Amino acid sequence: MKEEKKLAVVNKKPLKARIFQYRWFYVMFLPVLIFILLFNYLPMIGYRYAFYEYKSALSIKWVGLDNFVRLLSTEAFWSAFINTLQLSIVKLLLNTGMAVIISLLLNEIKNLTFKKVTQTIIYLPHFMSWVVTASVFALILSISESGLVNNLLLNLGLINDGEQIYFLGTKATWRLSYYIINIWKDTGWGTILFLATLSGINPEIYEAATIDGASRFSSMRYITLPALSNTIITVLILNLAKIMNLFESVFVLINDNVINVAQVLQTYTYDITFAAAPDFGFSTAVGLFRSLVACVLVLGCNYASKKVRNRGIV
Amino acid sequence: MKKKILSLLLATTMALSLVACGGTTEEATTTETETTETEVTETETTEVETEVAMEYPDSIKVMFDGTVFTEANGRAEFEASLEGVMSEYAGKPIDIEIIQPDHSGYYDSISQTFTGDASTWPDVVLLGAAYYSSYATQGVLADITSWWENSSLKSSGRVVSEALIDALYIDGSLYGISPARGNGCVTYVKQAWLDAAGVSSLPTNYAEYTAMLQAFQDAGLGEYPLSSAGIMNAEAPYVNYLPEFFQDAYPDFYQEADGTWVDGFTQDSMVAALDRLIEAYDNGWLDPESITNDTKAVREKYFADKQGVFTYWAGTWRYTLESNLESKSQEDLPISFGNTTLVVLEPIAEVDKYIERQATVWGVTTAAENPVAVADLFYSTMLDGADGQILWSYGVEGTHWSTAAEVLITNPGTDSEKANEFAEGQFHGLVNIETGSSLYTKNHIDKLLAIADLTEDFGASIDPRAEASMEMFNQNSRIAPVIVSNDVMSKYNSEMLSTKQQLITQVVTGELSIDDAMAMYNDQYGAQVEEILASLNQ
Repeated sequence: MKEEKKLAVVNKKPLKARIFQYRWFYVMFLPVLIFILLFNYLPMIGYRYAFYEYKSALSIKWVGLDNFVRLLSTEAFWSAFINTLQLSIVKLLLNTGMAVIISLLLNEIKNLTFKKVTQTIIYLPHFMSWVVTASVFALILSISESGLVNNLLLNLGLINDGEQIYFLGTKATWRLSYYIINIWKDTGWGTILFLATLSGINPEIYEAATIDGASRFSSMRYITLPALSNTIITVLILNLAKIMNLFESVFVLINDNVINVAQVLQTYTYDITFAAAPDFGFSTAVGLFRSLVACVLVLGCNYASKKVRNRGIV
Repeated sequence: MKKKILSLLLATTMALSLVACGGTTEEATTTETETTETEVTETETTEVETEVAMEYPDSIKVMFDGTVFTEANGRAEFEASLEGVMSEYAGKPIDIEIIQPDHSGYYDSISQTFTGDASTWPDVVLLGAAYYSSYATQGVLADITSWWENSSLKSSGRVVSEALIDALYIDGSLYGISPARGNGCVTYVKQAWLDAAGVSSLPTNYAEYTAMLQAFQDAGLGEYPLSSAGIMNAEAPYVNYLPEFFQDAYPDFYQEADGTWVDGFTQDSMVAALDRLIEAYDNGWLDPESITNDTKAVREKYFADKQGVFTYWAGTWRYTLESNLESKSQEDLPISFGNTTLVVLEPIAEVDKYIERQATVWGVTTAAENPVAVADLFYSTMLDGADGQILWSYGVEGTHWSTAAEVLITNPGTDSEKANEFAEGQFHGLVNIETGSSLYTKNHIDKLLAIADLTEDFGASIDPRAEASMEMFNQNSRIAPVIVSNDVMSKYNSEMLSTKQQLITQVVTGELSIDDAMAMYNDQYGAQVEEILASLNQ
């Protein structure tokens, strides 16, 4: 009771006094605040151009909601929107799933040197730029004589000469190739969080399970996976909020033949923004729409996070 | 106390870093804002009056792409020399500020620049034909009609291709000058492939052309007879990399002989062209990776002898292609290159004429303090027939070219090392500073394409092979349909062109039938096409 009273007294201090009391914290926070206002909030003023026809700085005309009406009636926009959701969500599930599997496998490796070397090797692709990754895979998946995968399939007798698969050039195989390239590039990096969680599991639980006659698979099934589940959900929720941000990986792999299955909102925005006669107002409208959807997703994820973890992310 | 000191130090560091990041910009912005008010007034002026006294500016800001020597290729020397030429012309010191974004992202930078405040614009900018039309109608470029009509440049008689400048008039006004023609693509065939496949006469029509491709394929030469960077090029004139298959089809809007505007994509000629392209793709004449190739990839395939036919730029490029083939080690190539000669095909009967693209244009922006003075200073020195034009054509003596007797080594220390010997007084390019693999051949203006001649004859520098291909192109080419721009066109056309490009690709690869593609196009853009045609035909 005394404690509560004391706290109440502290809270009743005048604002000025409280600011003065924590002045050094405010001083420390000030540059961060300025930074955020300058680089995060100030650029948002540009969103007003979503309501203008903006062809150059000399040609700006108020059009109200016209850009949004045009946007919602544009087939290419909806195609890009649906592709964004499909590509992002499947990529997220695959990458997370593969990261979990690889983490579990790494966790089973007893030779420390081998484990560390393996970890280093699978982390490396993450540091490769998307441009380089795309060039490397364009060579590997090429249908020419230098294409590694097609040559392998040919030598194994799985395809005949002249039946080489144009992995990055046909609709049927582009998405599969895209997912595999993403898994190759980012799965290793994704294992870090899961490995950290795994290292935190009390070894005594495993010892007890072994004494009780549990096999390694049973230990993984009944101890490791349940211990990882909270982290898996957290990773999924946090990444779900970022699914509208798909750009670079698609931009470097897209081509005219697969545009219907590959064009995402960010690449669509890029295309319409850097055309020969762009209307930046329309581009901004697309960007604003994308931001609103992303905002809804963040809030949804925050809600889900509160439900699952009893604490939000914002 | 320690915490206080620490927090103060941290805060000061962050604040200083912010100030350091933004300091210069802030200063620049302040200055630029001051000039904006004046510029707005300039912008409102619809036509530049030539009566204005030539008050040349102290400095000009020029923006161009990688067709001018880049920083790694002696741009500083070029800039200094050009400042000298301009200063002499203006009778006062002129400072040039150069903006040269990465070549491949140049038009991204252009879009970003002209989206921003006019105070950040360059005074002079190099633009592709589509951008020229668009920015001229938006008021970004200054009207220089009066200056040109009364200029000493025009009256000098040095401009031998005035028709090219006449073609730049939009609704009776001129907004820029092209110092050279736009050039175009011709089809090169490797003589070694013709010999190996036993093709003794060059094709003169489509049937003979496809028979030649088939002969290459039957002889097992390379990987495929022909490769290209995309099926439909993203930039005008769109069909220039595969002329034998597109023939008279053109995917953009163009005027018929009777003056009526039509959408080329919906014409019968386009359907026929798609049939031919499907035939090329299905028969394996065309590299299937043409869909994902860029021009560099195709060039590399050509040098690696994976293909025998390549439609590419006429003129200097012929020399470049041949000299690159010559420099390849013979063991690296499937065919022994006893003969590295490239044959330049005359257009087959169905093509009739190769297409010349509309040239890039140098425009003076309305942000320039005195556009007429900037125009006079820039164009008059660029096409002076003497020192200025030499700089724009060949670069700086001692950095990019020389007439001294010397031996120049390219690719030193490699298998492709080559000694190039020149006599005293013989004009020649110096070794490429950046790569060391070749000699410079030209700067921005290709002498073979220039609209004004040099008073001093530098003809010795032109490779006869380049000259021959250019001559053949000049005799067998027509200028691409004019790129028009109006409000309706600018609203829809770039998105429509992207769709056309995608549909053509998907039809050729068999993802879509021709009928489906046409139906999709009509469903998606039928109303817009009608709207555009109505605006053009009114």
